[in-house]
Amino acid sequence: MRNVRVASMSVLALGAASVLVWASDGAKPFSAAQKTWWAFQKLVKPAAPAVKNTAWVKTPVDAFLLAKMEDRGVKPNPRADKATLIRRAYLVLTGMPPAPEQVQAFLADDSPKAFERVVDELLASPHYGERWARHWLDLARYADSEGFKADETRPNVWRYRDYVIRAFNEDKPYNRFVEEQLAGDELYPKNADALAATGFNRHFPDESNAANIMLRRQELLNDITDTTGAVFMGLTFGCARCHDHKYDPILHKDYYRLQAFFANVKIDDQLSLEEEGRVADYREKERSYLAATAEVRAEIAKLLEPAYQKRYEERLSRFPEEIQAVITMKAEERTPFQWQMFHKAKPQVTFTDAEVAGLLKGDERTRYKELTAELAKFDATKPEPPALAQGMVDAASPAPQTHVLSGGAYNSPKDEVQPGFLTILDEKPAEIAPVANPSSTGRRAALARWLTREDNPLTSRVMANRIWHYQFGRGIAGTPSDFGMMGERPVNKELLDYLAARFVELGWSVKKLNREIMLSSAWQQSAEWREDAGGEDPANKLTWRYPRHRLEGEAIRDSILSVAGALNGKMYGPGVFPALPPGMVTRGGWKVQEDEAEANRRSVYIFVRRNTRYPMLQAFDMPDTHESCARRNITVSPTQALELLNSDVVMGWAKQLSQRVRNDAGLDERGQVERAWKLVYQRPPSEAETASALAFLKKHGDVAGDSEAVFTDFCHALINSNEFVYVN
Amino acid sequence: MSTNCPYPHGTRRTFLSRLGTGLSGIALSSMIAEDALAAARRDPMEPREPHHKPMAKSVIWLFMEGGPSHIDLFDPKPKLNELDGQPMPASFGKPITAMGTAGNTLMGSPRKWKQHGQSGLWVSDWYPNIAEHVDDIAVLRSCWANGLNHVGSVCQMNTGDILAGRPALGAWLTYGLGSANRNLPTFVILTDDKEVLGGPKNWSAGFLPASFQGTQFRNGDSPILHLKSPQGVTAERQRSKLDFLKELNERWNADKQDDSDLDARVASYELAYKMQATAPEAVDLTKETAATKALYGLEDEATSVFGANCLLARRLVERGVRFVELYCGSGSGWDAHANIEANHGKWCKASDKPIAGLLTDLKQRGMLEDTLVVWGGEFGRTPFNEKGNGRDHNPWGFTMWFAGGGVKGGRTVGTTDEIGLRAVDRPAHVHDVHASILHLMGLDHVKLTYLHNGRAERPTIVGGDPVRELWA
Repeated sequence: MRNVRVASMSVLALGAASVLVWASDGAKPFSAAQKTWWAFQKLVKPAAPAVKNTAWVKTPVDAFLLAKMEDRGVKPNPRADKATLIRRAYLVLTGMPPAPEQVQAFLADDSPKAFERVVDELLASPHYGERWARHWLDLARYADSEGFKADETRPNVWRYRDYVIRAFNEDKPYNRFVEEQLAGDELYPKNADALAATGFNRHFPDESNAANIMLRRQELLNDITDTTGAVFMGLTFGCARCHDHKYDPILHKDYYRLQAFFANVKIDDQLSLEEEGRVADYREKERSYLAATAEVRAEIAKLLEPAYQKRYEERLSRFPEEIQAVITMKAEERTPFQWQMFHKAKPQVTFTDAEVAGLLKGDERTRYKELTAELAKFDATKPEPPALAQGMVDAASPAPQTHVLSGGAYNSPKDEVQPGFLTILDEKPAEIAPVANPSSTGRRAALARWLTREDNPLTSRVMANRIWHYQFGRGIAGTPSDFGMMGERPVNKELLDYLAARFVELGWSVKKLNREIMLSSAWQQSAEWREDAGGEDPANKLTWRYPRHRLEGEAIRDSILSVAGALNGKMYGPGVFPALPPGMVTRGGWKVQEDEAEANRRSVYIFVRRNTRYPMLQAFDMPDTHESCARRNITVSPTQALELLNSDVVMGWAKQLSQRVRNDAGLDERGQVERAWKLVYQRPPSEAETASALAFLKKHGDVAGDSEAVFTDFCHALINSNEFVYVN
Repeated sequence: MSTNCPYPHGTRRTFLSRLGTGLSGIALSSMIAEDALAAARRDPMEPREPHHKPMAKSVIWLFMEGGPSHIDLFDPKPKLNELDGQPMPASFGKPITAMGTAGNTLMGSPRKWKQHGQSGLWVSDWYPNIAEHVDDIAVLRSCWANGLNHVGSVCQMNTGDILAGRPALGAWLTYGLGSANRNLPTFVILTDDKEVLGGPKNWSAGFLPASFQGTQFRNGDSPILHLKSPQGVTAERQRSKLDFLKELNERWNADKQDDSDLDARVASYELAYKMQATAPEAVDLTKETAATKALYGLEDEATSVFGANCLLARRLVERGVRFVELYCGSGSGWDAHANIEANHGKWCKASDKPIAGLLTDLKQRGMLEDTLVVWGGEFGRTPFNEKGNGRDHNPWGFTMWFAGGGVKGGRTVGTTDEIGLRAVDRPAHVHDVHASILHLMGLDHVKLTYLHNGRAERPTIVGGDPVRELWA
């Protein structure tokens, strides 16, 4: 009673316009700082400010930046030269540099639309989706394996990766992209893309043989809650798992209100991506296969029955009694929570024939082999199963209750909560409406719809900032997944608000926002340091120059493949396994493809095994996939140097580059040097550079032997150099 | 600055200017100081001042992977032998175990126990050589941890959490202290059998910069991936190529002096080149005398593999490596669910002489004073039987021991209950163990922080208290 009275008084005191800003359980108001925190304020598109140097302003983006520069008396940098500009555009949008011919065409194009044309071409390139999907995969903590001890392969999870690549290439509106990933199964249950998209919540590391599955379920829900909060809202929800967030207005119960949207999810690794006709056809063929093999399968089943029973009982006995009861009880007796336990436990007490057959001995073993040989004769009539994706769907039963957990411990439940949003934004429980998939609760759809409301203050700001971050190497707010009080405040809040509002105006189009950013004077500035500007703003918070930054490992590898002419441009499909360096071992398997060309696919297609990330990418700060990563580390280490300098694979690419250059340029060494420079750096060498290169080629012959080795080393040095691995 | 990116392009000034965000009443000072330092320090491996005067300079962690049985090695339980074959009395509290064995009967220890040294510490006949060093050893009998299974528990023993993703203790140490020898990694992992369960997650830098992660040494003369030049490339050829690369870089860097990462990249190639020469020497055991090799059991097949790793650990520590983690039975060797006699018999034999040799060798070289040696698994084993002659996982009470690096030997700290199931007196959680090791290395586990996802993360998460009885 007392709480209610205090709350209603507060509404009176603050007036009708105030949002609901009271924590109903503790009757504790959010602090003034929390209530006025920028990220929670209504998004209003600001008008572009007036500036003096109007000639510099190509787009409103420039006005917002220039206004702040003029306040501080800082002038922006001049435009970068055209070669630098086209190289930057290629690296940012596709993750690989342009070919010399593309540079040449751009240099020759004097039209004021020349750069715009390049940008449009690149946005239309399939390589754009591959590049930008990689950013999103970092956020989604994407991996092709489970993690933990066994680190088993998730055989069809790559469908999600392909979905993301397609989504960026098709420029799927971001609001739809969010909906599909959180609730594709509820909102668009017949749409294959939307089903594959639910893989987003499937990327938690998991332990297939966990003994304490009550704890495991809680850990998975925590992972999903934290990731959702970070990726879509830019908030560190995890801090509210045990208590009210120490700094941000996220209450302890808000953590579980958000978690409640996911309380009924279960893994579904058999999501069919095919049209109904194709599936019906498959079912038909499967029926006739099953009919033809009924006899032999029945005998196998009979033979294996005792072994099955043994394995089953042995495994069952390892579970605590309450879980054993859940597994063995009648379906209609299970409570919703017990259904959740059942779904998580069932795979552990389910075995394949092959797993069980190991227990057979003597005659039975012989008979089993005969029978499987007999069964194999029907293999030709066994239909190819339809394409499957791995994702998350609702369990068919009602959702189990969600409680606030004391100290975050699964076995210390406190008050029950209903699905709901941040109390500071909307105190009421969320309204859950029926969805297209009638067996689903509609909870996640409600969350997705709330997130993608045009007036949600967080969603568009968070994504617009991410896009800026990937364009410039750093966000307007420097912590793209933490818009809270411990994150970095935006250096130009008006600009961020403008971009966020513009993003929504453009129909949540990532491509269109990318385009607008790249057509600004700000984006096209040179990266050069100027003492006058740098003295005033050494950290370049004003963006008076384009921030030079190192490429990610994937882009370095792809760029080398590209300049060496070795890239296999094949898109999509299961992850590929390039050979590991000699001496490296891995649990869970790393089966190198027989087709060597597969090793030269783009890095985004390299299989991501959680416990064995591809070493070249790992050395260059690829995130570890155990949690969402919004901003990669950029470290410099001798391990990276050893990788690029001593790996036989990189040396092989250097050799291919060397052959390419010598084929293109003929025997003239000067011509060779120039061709190499244009392939690797997208510019001709200066006279001094040519002289130094020629001197090296001459001198290096004394220690490297034949001319092929000499030139390979020359090319190898170029692809190791700073100029090659930096976006300038 | 939180998520990642410890060395952003900003300067120290950028960081300090962030202080004006209107936060009030938060104990931010130490955190900001740490992170501002990290930011100002462009070279992540630069040596750093500890928080207080360290007692140890290096750690050698002998990790008995799979879980050695404390009640058959360092923690004798006469009462358990009395109750042999009987169900566990309810008063001890039935736990959830990995294999559901808590209803099984108790199993006494068939070992012969003796008191050793002047201190009279108890060690079973499985560790006769180590027993001779008890006066240098402090036995912590009351350890406990949270995980039930190997991956989670090995992960927690290394990173503090049963869920993967946090930095390993060795990474925290490297972050806190920097490197003492730039030509070698600061945090090295050695294995003797299969892959460690959970693999590289256990020596990951987590959310700390990648430079702080552990390096797993491979066997042979090329312990680090890509340490050798590509096939057929001589040292002169490598040098000549590197000189040209340096020329390319320096020319390009010349008008970009504002960006020290560019120079750092040049330096990293020089370091890599030096490492190519230094690391093979560090792992070359051929220069050791026959007596030294014999001391570590290198002549005996049963002890040669782990013995070589112990000897290698000494060589690395001698050269300034701060944290060497040696797995004995890597890939869960000690996991004696059945036939503990054969299982522990094998691994005790494999580790007894090498560890005793290591202690002897460190002592005679005067290195034990500032080298902390840690022994333990990810958990201990249950007093009730599994499959009649094995033991299940026991994270509720188990033993670790410590020697050198300021530790006072010849003492036991803490106790388990009468059957060795649970820690009773002075329970020491994994976080307490980590806090202790950091303390001996001169670092305060509460002050060693890194801002990540809006939280000042520390090695001990929200717990940890040094077990001062080990040295005070």
